[in-house]
Parts: sequence; C-alpha cells; structure tokens
Amino acid sequence: MINTKNVLMGLVAPVALLGLLAANPAAAREPFTKAELADQNAARLAAVDHGRDLWHGSLGSMQSNGLACGNCHPDAAASNPQTFPKFQADLGKVIPLRDMINWCIMVPQAGTALDVNGDDMVAMEAYAFALYTGKAITPGLATKQTTGINVGSGVGYPKKGSGVGYDTEK
Amino acid sequence: MTDFDKMSRRSFLSISGKAGLSTLVASAVGTNFGMVSVAEAAMGKGKVTPFRFAIMTDGHLFSHPDHKFDALMAKAVDDCNNMNPKPDFVLYCGDIAQNGLDEQLVKGKNILSKLTMPVKYIPGEHDWYLDMGAAWRGHFGPDVWSFDHKGVHFIGMNSILVKDFWTPAGMSAKERMGTMEMLESPIAGPWGVHEKTLAWLKKDVANLPSDTPVVTFTHGPLWDYYPRWNFQTKDAPEIREILSKFERVMSFHGHVHQTIYNKIGNMGSCGTMSTSWPWPYPDVKLAYPQSQMNRSDPGAFEDGEGSQYIDLEGGFEGSMHYNPFGDMLTPFMKNGFKI
Repeated sequence: MINTKNVLMGLVAPVALLGLLAANPAAAREPFTKAELADQNAARLAAVDHGRDLWHGSLGSMQSNGLACGNCHPDAAASNPQTFPKFQADLGKVIPLRDMINWCIMVPQAGTALDVNGDDMVAMEAYAFALYTGKAITPGLATKQTTGINVGSGVGYPKKGSGVGYDTEK
Repeated sequence: MTDFDKMSRRSFLSISGKAGLSTLVASAVGTNFGMVSVAEAAMGKGKVTPFRFAIMTDGHLFSHPDHKFDALMAKAVDDCNNMNPKPDFVLYCGDIAQNGLDEQLVKGKNILSKLTMPVKYIPGEHDWYLDMGAAWRGHFGPDVWSFDHKGVHFIGMNSILVKDFWTPAGMSAKERMGTMEMLESPIAGPWGVHEKTLAWLKKDVANLPSDTPVVTFTHGPLWDYYPRWNFQTKDAPEIREILSKFERVMSFHGHVHQTIYNKIGNMGSCGTMSTSWPWPYPDVKLAYPQSQMNRSDPGAFEDGEGSQYIDLEGGFEGSMHYNPFGDMLTPFMKNGFKI
C-alpha cells in the first residue's frame, strides 16, 4: 500500500529547498571560493611533495639497505596505484595500495613499515596517484602502465620547475 | 694472439686510454711488452676469429657489509667464469657503485677480481659525480679507450658527462652526487660524451677500413630511448655519423637495467641486464618489443637481473645472449638473437 504522506513529503521537500535557495543567493555559490580551492590544492601538493621526498629516501627508517622506492619505481612507474586494491601473491589476499607500499618497505627495502593511517602514508599515496591521474583503470601487465600523465614540464611530477634539462628541451 | 691476449690485465689497463689506443698499442706491444706490431693485427670482417665476450653492468654496490647486491655481482662473476666456451674478456658497462664512494668501488673491484679473464671498464654516473671520476680512474684506468681483438675494433666511451649544474647552484660534492643518483631528476639534463671524445673517436677510427667490425660500449644507449631517465646519449647522432662509414657496428650499453634491442642504420644496439634491480620499461613504442623481458617478481630479489654474452662469428655475425638469474626471457631471446 502506498504511503501518501511519504509521497507528499517527497514532493514538498525539494520544492521548499528550491524556494530557500532562491531566497538566499549566497547558499547557491560554488562549494568553495577560489581562495579556499587554492588552499586545498596547496595542501594536496604539499602532500605530493612530501610523498616524492619519502619515495626517494628522505625517511631513513623506510630502509636498512640503502634502497628507496624510486630505485625500482622512477616517476612511480610500474607502481600502478589505480589498480589497487588487488591480489598480492606473497600475502595471499586482496590489499590496498598502502599495504603494498608497506610490503615494499619491509621486503625489498628491509625497513620499518609506515603507519597505514599516518600522514607519511597519505603522502606516499598522494605522490603515486598524482602521477597516474587520468589513467584508465586497467589491471594487467605493468609494462602497459608505466607512464604518468603529461604535466607542465614533462612527463611526471616536477618538484621544482628548474627550467633546465630535457624536460624543456623539445 | 691479439692485442688483448698478449697483455696482462694490469699492463692492458695501464696503456689503453684516451690518447688513442691504436697508437698506444702499436708502441706498447712493440716496445714494452715484446709483442708483434699492430700491423700484424689483421682487421676486416673476413678476418674475425670467432670468440665470445661477456658484459656485466650496474652493480650499484652500497657500503653496507654483505649487501644483497654484493652477492648478485658475485653470482654474475661465477656465471661468467663457468661459461663454456669462456669469454675472452668481460666488459663492465658502468655503475659499480651506488653513491660514488671509494669503498664501494673497492668492493666492486674485489668482487670483479675473481673473474678469470681480463676486464675492461667504462664509468656510470653513480661512479663519477662524487669526485668527478678521480677514485674510479684510480681503480679502473682511462674512461675512454679502444683496442683490437681477433679482428674486431672495440671502443669504450665515458658517456655520462653533463654540463656543470652544481657550481652555479653552490652544491657540495655530495649534493651533486645525490642529484645524479636520482634517475628522474630534471636538474642535471641530458648526458653525453662531449666534444673532446667526439674528436678522439673521429681520430680513432679515421684509418680503419669500412669493413672493420666495430663494437662500442657506453653507459647509456646511443639512441633516444627515454630521455627523461637519461636512456639516451646526447651526442649519439654525431657518434652514429662518425661510425656510419662502417658496414656494421654493434653497440652495447648499461644504465637501462633491462633487455632491449634496437637498430638504427648500420648500428645494432643492445641494452644489458644489471646485477642490482630491473628498471620498468617506459611507455615507448619499440621497433623490437619482443626484446622486452618478462615482468620480474619483486619478491624474488634475483628476478630481472643477470649478465650477458655475445658470440661473434667469422663474418662478424653476432648473437646476443642474455643470461638472467631467473626465467625472464621471451622466446625471441631464449636462444640468443642476431644483432
């Protein structure tokens, strides 16, 4: 049996909301101001920047043999963050990217795992994903997925716009 | 007997170098070592006596005692010593050290001293930029050289020279080294052999007939594979131009830590497997995609690494054989392939 009271409320509520929005133009503004968006993007880039440093060995506890993530994954190549969660054979289960990062830290790098919920891990993920933004989610051979997106000064994440080097030498 | 056979390893290293080995060999073998003159070393593709040589590269040794890369380099040494037939010599294509430290170079020298055949070296960027090659040259000799062996002309060049980015930036030697250690750093820019070596190369091959078999060794490839990671040599076009008079040139390089083959004009080019870790393949369309090795298992630390050897036949036919520690090869590479 149809509950006519619920149907009526379903019609009235959106109309009332529209009326409120029309009466209060400020409520219809973009979710964030340009300044707010700039702050948010700066925070994201700071995380990516920190992740880039961690990726290249800035935290000594991540290794005990000198190796950094960037040794095997320059420009985060073949890390394929967009394919996670996926099955990891050594662990025998489906894992998120952060568990894979910790596996690499503990096994090839013989280091101490990061706190999976800590800022360092978020930064690591931010860096890896930043290089894969826009890539199709196509799990499979890493060799098909090793290139990041094109950014302002070349392929990959430019920490500093140096203005020199092959990035600008076309 | 050839130039190479007749010299002890020590004497060979001491005389081969940038001054032009053809000349040096002629004088050295004739005077210092009581050997035949260079005129007796017949050259030309019909004059090649079949032989094998091996290549090891990119050990990236750290200072840590008993590091896993020490064992991998030693394993490749054993592989070379146990080959049948044995290689006449081994070429080391650079990056013995990870951070350019003398202790790392010494460790590599000690491991490689177990090879039962002579070794020749060229440097990689990881060997060089802490002290601009001072320690490396002290241990391994000249960074540019050539020699003749059984009818083949071999050329090795230091190909990791970059413009001075450190002085204007006020960098310390350690900072300079750190910048060069990072594969994807955009700061150093593209490396190459630079003008002086190009002039040397021109002179070195000037009097060789065009049917002379020529083999080159550089750290990076002599073609634009993936410049962002310095999978290139900036003056490779000039090098290829200088060598274009020869019917066939074989080029071998380190740095890429992977199997890879390409051909440009008269030059067949082969990348080499490291003894440290495999780099991923960049997303580049290749003429010979079948020369990409299978994906390595990151949980198996020997996977994706190894050594390689080349068998040269009488007509300067060469077959490239990758010799991986694990099962990495596609059918195209399994039994070697013609270069």
